[in-house]
Amino acid sequence: MSEALLEMESPTTEEANGVTEETSIVNGNGLDAEALERGDLLAHDGVPAALISMRDIWRTYEMGTEKLHALRGVSFDVQRGEYLAIIGPSGSGKSTLMNLIGCLDTPSQGRYWINSKLVSEMEDDELARIRNQEIGFVFQTFNLLARATALHNVELPLIYAGVSAADRHERAQRSLRAVELGDRMTHRPNELSGGQRQRVAIARALVNNPSILLADEPTGALDSKTSIEIMNLFEKLHSEGNTIIVVTHEHDIAARAHRVISIRDGNIESDERIK
Amino acid sequence: MSALLTEPVEERRGDAPGGFEPLPPAPPRARRTRLPPAFHKTWESLRIALGSLRANKLRTALTLIGVVVGVAAVIAVVTIIKGLDQTVASTFSSQGSTVFTVSKRPQVITSREDFIKFNRRKDVTETDADAVTRLCNACWRTGVAANAQATVKAGDKSSESVRVRGLTLSMFLIEDTDVVAGRAWTDTEEASGRDVAVVGPDVVDNLFDGAPPDQVIGRQVRVEGRAYEIIGVTERLGKIFGFSRDNFVQIPYPTFKKAFGARVSLIVFVQVPEQPQLVTAEDQVRNIMRNRRGKTFHDEEDGFALETQDVFIDLYKSATANIYLVTVGVAAVSLVVGGIVVMNIMLVSVTERTREIGVRKAVGASRRDVLLQFLIESVVITSIGGMMGVAAGFILAFGLAKAMGFPLLFSVASAVLGVSVSSAVGIASGLWPAWKAARLDPIEALRAE
Repeated sequence: MSEALLEMESPTTEEANGVTEETSIVNGNGLDAEALERGDLLAHDGVPAALISMRDIWRTYEMGTEKLHALRGVSFDVQRGEYLAIIGPSGSGKSTLMNLIGCLDTPSQGRYWINSKLVSEMEDDELARIRNQEIGFVFQTFNLLARATALHNVELPLIYAGVSAADRHERAQRSLRAVELGDRMTHRPNELSGGQRQRVAIARALVNNPSILLADEPTGALDSKTSIEIMNLFEKLHSEGNTIIVVTHEHDIAARAHRVISIRDGNIESDERIK
Repeated sequence: MSALLTEPVEERRGDAPGGFEPLPPAPPRARRTRLPPAFHKTWESLRIALGSLRANKLRTALTLIGVVVGVAAVIAVVTIIKGLDQTVASTFSSQGSTVFTVSKRPQVITSREDFIKFNRRKDVTETDADAVTRLCNACWRTGVAANAQATVKAGDKSSESVRVRGLTLSMFLIEDTDVVAGRAWTDTEEASGRDVAVVGPDVVDNLFDGAPPDQVIGRQVRVEGRAYEIIGVTERLGKIFGFSRDNFVQIPYPTFKKAFGARVSLIVFVQVPEQPQLVTAEDQVRNIMRNRRGKTFHDEEDGFALETQDVFIDLYKSATANIYLVTVGVAAVSLVVGGIVVMNIMLVSVTERTREIGVRKAVGASRRDVLLQFLIESVVITSIGGMMGVAAGFILAFGLAKAMGFPLLFSVASAVLGVSVSSAVGIASGLWPAWKAARLDPIEALRAE
């Protein structure tokens, strides 16, 4: 991170991480030259077919006159049905990467596709729609609405998707039953245990059939026994075909995934398939 | 994809039977229904708004005071004035707009200069009245009234400042006077100038301890040393603007002349059968009187006052217009103050709920959704305040109407206006806080404590 703080140069002239200037050159069809060279699957007109495609992603924060590069040209793909862990120490840039994957933020430079949609160029409200339809968030601190019942919390994404009340109830109930909380629907978060709250959050994340289940330190606020339960649930969800990305700094959590991307100082340190 | 949460596999992918599960096509999206998404979001916003109001009852109540006071003031005043309008209208239409008067001075004088000017005019005399009666063929009834103020006594009791009116008998018809006990005087009694009197119920109250009207018939009242036999008592008319309309002694005009002298300017009352004839009758009477005053059409001045009861209504209207103006001022100030309080509370609410806003944004709420949520909350607060204000205003008006004795007219229009103005205040004061909430960065918001 100290290197990052000292890094003042423009990201495009950065040679150290092996990215040449040509990588960001895009031809008239929106074709990414490097992606073509790497032989990525292309659905049409140069748009990657992978569920997630990140190409030379930079995220630069301006701290007064200094520029802080949290991400320095990250590129990777995630296919449908993958179970991916992103691991790295604090300050490595993994939170920044998670915010970008979750479309809560946009990159300073580079291109990012979800489901063949170029989200790196999107405006706020388009991103909101992508978050609603493509992403299911699971947070470390659950982030449930305190005054709302479990059922209503799970319905929340459907409300913003414009689903009618009857459909919403039905789908939210199904989602809660899927995380074995069918008997806790009318409970409020303060009437639930930590593990139950996280399961409500997972039900909420899944209710609108997102492309990606994106979890940020999902066991960070749970005891080890409950953590195992939640991780087992993730495994079950993965086996049912969900794409799962878990961001964590704990190696034993990352070890449950099938692929681990390790981030350090804003770069991908390693990208390994472990199962 | 999440087979877990979607329809059963068979349904979803019809012809692809179980076992091996290939990558599914695009997952089924939120099913759209006939109601537009905005409806569900608005409903959700309403739920949230009511929930957060319930959660902060005291705060909500304090927030509402300004709006409640503003709306209540408007509703109370509008309701009271509507009630007064009704009283005024029914009072003056008892003579109706089929009656006009000819007199020396107008009934409403607004300046000293005018008073001096009007005083220099010739008195309206019996001959003027005769001429009007004789020459105006559009006139239906004519009557004469001469007024004085005097102390009236009976036994050892006395009542000051009683209106003593010398009337011709036709005045009972023109004024539609209802004699509830006894009778009016006869032509003969009038012609011979008998000392008989028809008194108002206040006179009975003040001089005969409120005895039943028929028990005072035949008793005597003394006015300036002269005794009159009470032959009739009129129906009680009540008060208007705090002035009693029942404190009078009516005597035949010839009797009045004997008692008070002939040098009193008269008021000539003219009645037409139907309102449309009023203008014709007025023109005829004006011509007759101008001729008698020797005025040609070069003279701007009539030299007399020709008026309908509209002068009172006009006076009343200009008075109530001022009351309305003051009330609107009071209401505007308290609504502005109320609006600022609501804005303040909404800003607090946005700060308190930063994390909630973050969560909502993370699960797909657009800026517009968040903006609308807080705007609706603000409008819900103020329109509840508006409704409470309408209720408080009506209760206040009800109390005042009871105390002052006039009918209470609930105006639906003013209630609707009260609630819509307060909703407008809600929009105005909620806009900035809602905009602040909508613009929050979801990452920052999720990190908030």
